[in-house]
Amino acid sequence: MTDTPEVASAGANVEYSQLGKGLPRTDAPGKAAGKTPYAGDYIMPGMLHVKVVRADIASAKLTKLDVSKARELNGVACVITAADLPDRMAATDIPGQTGQKRLDTDNQILVRERVRYWGEPLALIAAETKDIADRAWELIEFELEPIAGVYDPEEALKPGAPIVQGKNNVVAEHKIKKGDAEAGLAAADLVIENTFRTPFQEHAFLEPEVGLAWADENDVVNIRMSTQVIEHFRFIADAIGVPHNKVRIRGALVGGGFGGKEDVTIEIYLALLAKRTGRPVRLEYSREDSFVGHGKRHPFILTYRTGVTKDGKITGIDVQMIADAGAYVYLSPYVLLYAAVAAPGPYKVENLNVYARAVATNNMFTSAFRGFGGMQACVAYEQQMDEVAKALDMDRMELRRRNFLKTGEPISTGFIPPSAIWTDQCAEQAWEALGEPAPSEGHLKIGRGIAAYQQSYGRLTFLHDTSEAWVGVEVDGTVIVRSGVTDIGAGQISALGQIAVEILGVTMDDVVIYNSDSAVTPLAGTTTATRALYMTGNAAKQAAEAVRDRLAARAAQEFGVEPGDVGMAYNKVYVVNNPEQSMPFVDLVKICAAEGVHRSELVMFRAPFSDHLDPETGQGQAHPDYTYGAHAVEVSVDTDTGEVAVLKSIGAHDVGQCVNPAAVQGQIEGGTQNGQGYALSEEMLYEEGKLVTPSFSEYLMPTSMDMPKVQSIILESRSGIGPFGAKGIGEPALTGVAPAIANAVADAIGVRVFELPITPERVLMTLREHQKAAE
Amino acid sequence: MSTNKMITLNINGREEPTEVPAHRTLLEALRDLGHVEVKCGCEKGDCGACAVLVDGMAVDSCLTLAWTSEGKEITTVLGLGDMETPHPLQKSFSDTGAIQCGYCTPGLIIASKSMIAENPDPSEQDIRIGLSGNLCRCTGYTKVFDAVTEAAAVMRAEGGKS
Amino acid sequence: MYAEYDLHIPDDLSDALGLLADDNGGKATALAGGTNLIVDMRARRERPDHVVSLDRLDEMTGIENDGKRVTIGGRTTVSDLLRSPDIAAMAPSLVQASQVFAGQMVRNTATVGGNIACGSPAADLVPPLLSLDAEVELTSASDTRSVALDEYFTGYKKDVRRSDELITRISWPCLPENTVNSFYKLARRKGDAITITGVAVTLTVTGGVCEKARIVLGAVSPVIFRAMTAEAMLEGETLTPDLIAAAAAKAAEECSPIDDVRASAEYRRLTAESLTRRLVSQAWEQLS
Repeated sequence: MTDTPEVASAGANVEYSQLGKGLPRTDAPGKAAGKTPYAGDYIMPGMLHVKVVRADIASAKLTKLDVSKARELNGVACVITAADLPDRMAATDIPGQTGQKRLDTDNQILVRERVRYWGEPLALIAAETKDIADRAWELIEFELEPIAGVYDPEEALKPGAPIVQGKNNVVAEHKIKKGDAEAGLAAADLVIENTFRTPFQEHAFLEPEVGLAWADENDVVNIRMSTQVIEHFRFIADAIGVPHNKVRIRGALVGGGFGGKEDVTIEIYLALLAKRTGRPVRLEYSREDSFVGHGKRHPFILTYRTGVTKDGKITGIDVQMIADAGAYVYLSPYVLLYAAVAAPGPYKVENLNVYARAVATNNMFTSAFRGFGGMQACVAYEQQMDEVAKALDMDRMELRRRNFLKTGEPISTGFIPPSAIWTDQCAEQAWEALGEPAPSEGHLKIGRGIAAYQQSYGRLTFLHDTSEAWVGVEVDGTVIVRSGVTDIGAGQISALGQIAVEILGVTMDDVVIYNSDSAVTPLAGTTTATRALYMTGNAAKQAAEAVRDRLAARAAQEFGVEPGDVGMAYNKVYVVNNPEQSMPFVDLVKICAAEGVHRSELVMFRAPFSDHLDPETGQGQAHPDYTYGAHAVEVSVDTDTGEVAVLKSIGAHDVGQCVNPAAVQGQIEGGTQNGQGYALSEEMLYEEGKLVTPSFSEYLMPTSMDMPKVQSIILESRSGIGPFGAKGIGEPALTGVAPAIANAVADAIGVRVFELPITPERVLMTLREHQKAAE
Repeated sequence: MSTNKMITLNINGREEPTEVPAHRTLLEALRDLGHVEVKCGCEKGDCGACAVLVDGMAVDSCLTLAWTSEGKEITTVLGLGDMETPHPLQKSFSDTGAIQCGYCTPGLIIASKSMIAENPDPSEQDIRIGLSGNLCRCTGYTKVFDAVTEAAAVMRAEGGKS
Repeated sequence: MYAEYDLHIPDDLSDALGLLADDNGGKATALAGGTNLIVDMRARRERPDHVVSLDRLDEMTGIENDGKRVTIGGRTTVSDLLRSPDIAAMAPSLVQASQVFAGQMVRNTATVGGNIACGSPAADLVPPLLSLDAEVELTSASDTRSVALDEYFTGYKKDVRRSDELITRISWPCLPENTVNSFYKLARRKGDAITITGVAVTLTVTGGVCEKARIVLGAVSPVIFRAMTAEAMLEGETLTPDLIAAAAAKAAEECSPIDDVRASAEYRRLTAESLTRRLVSQAWEQLS
């Protein structure tokens, strides 16, 4: 199919009663009142308080660790070091792989001998009060003997570099070979080569990592936890040496995750201490702990060689990528894969070569972060498109139009997405919406930029992803949904409610959702990879439909019609062609209850299962589907100081079908804040592996004074594989923002800053160099 | 050194006694007393999650000592309204979609209340300046501006009673 | 947070001064707004034995304007400055600095005296106060003295205030009519950020001639300072773009900035120059 589908703007194919409405989320009133408990709000009698002791050199041998004075302090219940855990390691690979052979990236829980990053945990203190834990911390004595470290991935690749992991520091490698890139480049009229650099980024969720653990009367370790993944009970059970059914994660609503609570953070510490002391234990990270306690976004060095004809058609692209994996592997192989798959962007590229490596250093380990490699690739490919347009002296939008991938065409891995590809419409609408440009005046130069993107939704298909949800109708007509899904703020659970009530024809006041308990709610999988709506939404929809169908069959008998003629909406059951023939929903439910009709259903939804991509060519299926869109901005640059102000910021995304427009806008608006910070002000600076920007005073994300009002343009192709044709938006909302800003700055000042963040200093220095070169 | 003292804190109109040492911050004291609606985000005044009203003015409770808070009126977000009778700010934040993970929300509502008390008809720029000490990673602030503007209008219509 | 100290909350100034003067077997520190001290105590950078809270000392509050001088108490908060019509009229640079000072909660608590006492080269209220020729009143149990603010700082985080003294009042002369007084804060984001380069400028122009110039640079040297040589180039002259550019260049020369996590020394020098040029030019244009 290569026809261009029409843009579905206001008109809906189907009228929904609950879907597509900006209904207040079920979790909002509780949060506004301050009544909603987060993991750190739970306490238990006899609770101990935990503090982590950390290494203060990035690359070292632990030669002395004396915790005796701390142990002797009155009020200290225990102090654990690696000596207390001789045979225990912790899995750090991607969770939720059933029967797959997971990567051997198991890691020490506490440092045995070798420290590889600044802040690596050496010991755990559990004490009666936080104050005592703090005093005990001061009594811990340790000595670290420095070992030569390496802090730059390009340095780490050189022969003779200090080895942090494996034989040569390369912890992952991906290749994509499609067509013949070298031939494509040779056939080009012009080859443009550029290198782009992206930095570390901190998730900066407002709620630091926190949890409370206790061993109950069945010897099950319970953990009340702020996490994106309740399925970690398996890794935790393995790490503490108990069967999987002896660890129970009770997830709380999460105060922000963004991928930073996707790995195991503090759960194993809590579980170990709860078992050892026999008492409840609570650990809350300080902000400083959080900055060194979870993996960051991978810095990337991306070198693109793009060949084009005079008419702006891409003939071939070669991409070389190096990612800084930091001290431990964690999810680096997967982030790298996403980046490689995303490398060409949403464009038709028949001749493509991608060679990507993730390299270990003694920097903070890097792992999952909203965007997961797809974002870094977009920073490169969309800036490269602008540079190519500049070299061709061609309009930037026109170059993109001539190369956009269209519906039914294959992406870099040869896979054809099953849904519509509306990048062109998204880009046109975003660009149009910028309206008339503000005038450049004096030292303030105005610039505009756009970035189009492709970002996956749903997990890597070789992980064989599944998700479960249970929907049931009570005798009084109210509805219950049970699913393990964790809600990290995007309204994951409210969406399930909205789907169930749409199918069953009731309203949001009638539904309660129980979530995030690994022992009691059906496991839904991780809240990551923009998968919750797609996977759990589909499971909930199918479960609700199963219940609905059984109820409708009974109603059909009552009405004397076929089951297909029965409609349910606004708490009524009615005959579709004769709506006066109806009964209240609750009356139908009572009849069904009395007759033993099964009023609930548990569904497992399966994503497409695939094998790994071909190791040499990278061809195959990587993800279930992709979201396409674009972000456009207008900026002003103060050429005296280099300060960049974002004046207009517009995200246009094809979300397939909007479940809740306010929630979709919220994702776009919030993703824009993240992308803007990544582009302009967020910088993690390390000196010999030590973080010298360790708090929110030094690490600067956009405040209310830095953000413009963000405009969301929501397109609905209704072609997604999520419920009702929905696609995912969580990560896509973010992907195009930073390159759009980078492009706008380059447009404003006529020269590009090739490294993020584009700080005022980088702008000013780049301008001055450019002016000197011109003279 | 740092002996405990029995103090009484007036929180949301109730007198609550507690025994705390001199270094106990108001944030810690409030949470230990069960006021978990006051959130901890950074403990150094960078994020605003811990904001409470002291004598009607928003302060970071992590930078305030418990002992010096005696004799003052402390208001947390639960003192403004609850789920049955929400304050206009609670209602507007909830209705406009200005709440995602919700962790920054109590602090934002407190800061908004304090700002509106001084400036009942804030412009978008006034709101930006008034909330610059409240970090939010989820919303990008766009709906927060809408929520505050909407609530301020309701509060003006109510004659400044809330 | 965890720290060990005795906390005193005196009811009046003389009690507070007595506590600060009395060694009491340890180091005593005054606690004003707490927005610096509590952060420093939590980070264990400050470990006082005694903390003397100024919270109840009304004697240290208040803003007065007698037509000749504006006088504010040392405990005046940043928000107090923003609320005051006298400050708006007689210290516009202080208003501009206050608007971009941290966030609302910190503004409601942080004091002018505390901002001066912390000695940070990035203290945002100090450049405006220096541009206004401010004086500080230092009071101890034994005496009271006045020090010109531009003689107050003696080195990086070093000043003439004794440990038993409090900054009880800050004052400056009312601005004459034909004067512009302004401040610009350059930082890596607009909201709540530590200053990279701060510039405060006062220009008084009579009969087409610059009668008085103050150029104050913050965060670009160990001490916030007046660029006096640059000021002297402007005073008594009719300002032209070239003269302003030369003075700005001279001001930049007088800096001794460092490289740190926020910016390089070179960037600080460049922006000290361009911002000085901008503020002086804007002031001159307004007054012509």
